[in-house]
Amino acid sequence: MTVTGELQLGFIPLVDAAPLIVAQAKGFFAGQGLTVALSREGSWATVRDKVAAGALDGAHMLSPMVFAASLGIGSETKAMIAPLALNRGGAAVTLSTRLAGEQPPGVQLARLARRRQEEGASPLTLAVVYPFSIHNYLLRTWLVRLGLDPDRDVRLTVAPPSRTADLLAEGVIEGFCAGAPWNAVAEAAGVGRTVVHVEEVLPDAPDKVFGVTEYWAAANPQVLAGLIRALDAAGRWCGAMENRAALADLLARPEHVGAPVPAIVQSLDEMAFGGAGLGRPRPEHALWILDQMARWGQAEAADPARAAARIYRPDLYDQAVGSR
Amino acid sequence: MRVLIIDPDPARAALVAEGLAGVDPLEVRQAAVFVEAEAAAFRPDVIVVASESPDRDTLESLREASAANPRPVVMFVDRSEPGLAEEAVRAGVAAYVVDGLSTGRVRPILEVAMSRFQLMHQLRADLAKAKADLASRKSVERAKALLMKERGLDEEAAYRMLRKLSMDTGRPLGAVAADLLAFAGVLKGGEGS
Repeated sequence: MTVTGELQLGFIPLVDAAPLIVAQAKGFFAGQGLTVALSREGSWATVRDKVAAGALDGAHMLSPMVFAASLGIGSETKAMIAPLALNRGGAAVTLSTRLAGEQPPGVQLARLARRRQEEGASPLTLAVVYPFSIHNYLLRTWLVRLGLDPDRDVRLTVAPPSRTADLLAEGVIEGFCAGAPWNAVAEAAGVGRTVVHVEEVLPDAPDKVFGVTEYWAAANPQVLAGLIRALDAAGRWCGAMENRAALADLLARPEHVGAPVPAIVQSLDEMAFGGAGLGRPRPEHALWILDQMARWGQAEAADPARAAARIYRPDLYDQAVGSR
Repeated sequence: MRVLIIDPDPARAALVAEGLAGVDPLEVRQAAVFVEAEAAAFRPDVIVVASESPDRDTLESLREASAANPRPVVMFVDRSEPGLAEEAVRAGVAAYVVDGLSTGRVRPILEVAMSRFQLMHQLRADLAKAKADLASRKSVERAKALLMKERGLDEEAAYRMLRKLSMDTGRPLGAVAADLLAFAGVLKGGEGS
């Protein structure tokens, strides 16, 4: 394997960045002969730009974001690929305490949204973490089930996950859909209640992936294979129950997720890593993402099957893991 | 010129203000985090955001939702990210990047960002107009073909008839053609389209 210098990998402070953090801390990268520097990033836009520009070799990414970059939606076109899936679960909708009260969840939200419309008042504001995310698709799908039009009956904005609890407390937003641990953090702060989890609305939805540019992957096949093996092994380590306490402590550190241990422990219970073939990026997930992008008016791929096959790359996963 | 700077570090706001010295009138406002209501009240001509700010995703989504009074956004890349600014510009990734801390470069970069933003706006408007023009031309072609068939006219005569209708009614040629096609549909017992 030809490793030239230190690899730069980016992550966003979320529990599902665990495979990257663990691969570094527990020596899975080193075991593949790789020297890695992890870079904690503030926004998905910056992750996308740095990977596109080559300032990062690869990163923890939202699966739909890889498609948006490749299709040139919301940024310049840059072909990116997902050769590894990192996790499943963790995305959830949290509503402000005053809206979360009644059962079934969402009834009060729908009622208030309607009343605001009748009174001609400004619509309720709900936040997602990024337009090209399963969080956006989850919230929209759930709103439709409540009989609301996500583009008309409420106002959807984008907010950084780490600030969602504060925005809820200040009344700037009435709810949000974000990844772990930020729902648990808002609950622990007493400002909101988590009312629906991703598996209840979009069972089996893909979440984060490891993403690189198509160009980088073609130029560094051996290094990429090593990264896939290291992250896949780290994912299985994260999934093992006996490692849960150590994992929560590691993630809680300020240089990683920077959130209280109890919130992270709670989040880990709602999330799956590694094992049971989770790491292999599934073509049907790619088609589902393209379908969601089309459904919500973000993008129409001219040839979805072709776009899916070019972006989701189980072949690279199989090559890497099969040649262990 | 009103400039909103989203950066927890007041030193960079001071730098931008210094770099814009001589611009009159000038109002530079700095905030650690982006607050939409405050920004809406301030109505900045340009927003400068630190590359490490979590607010980048919010600003980008506002830029996409162009209905909500879009503003050009300049990303502030610090020296601690060697090469990113140059790479990003070369790769055409981030539209506007301020690199390093040289005051002399602040003003031209903001001005380029604003003019590029205006240009993008103009391009979008032009594209919309081009699409409308194409649709109008298609209507004219179809209306001409209809007149040629129904009235036994040659192409030149059919076109003159449309032109006369347009001038008599004071409506654009494309609109007259679309009306003619719609009425023809109705007369034939169709749905008028």
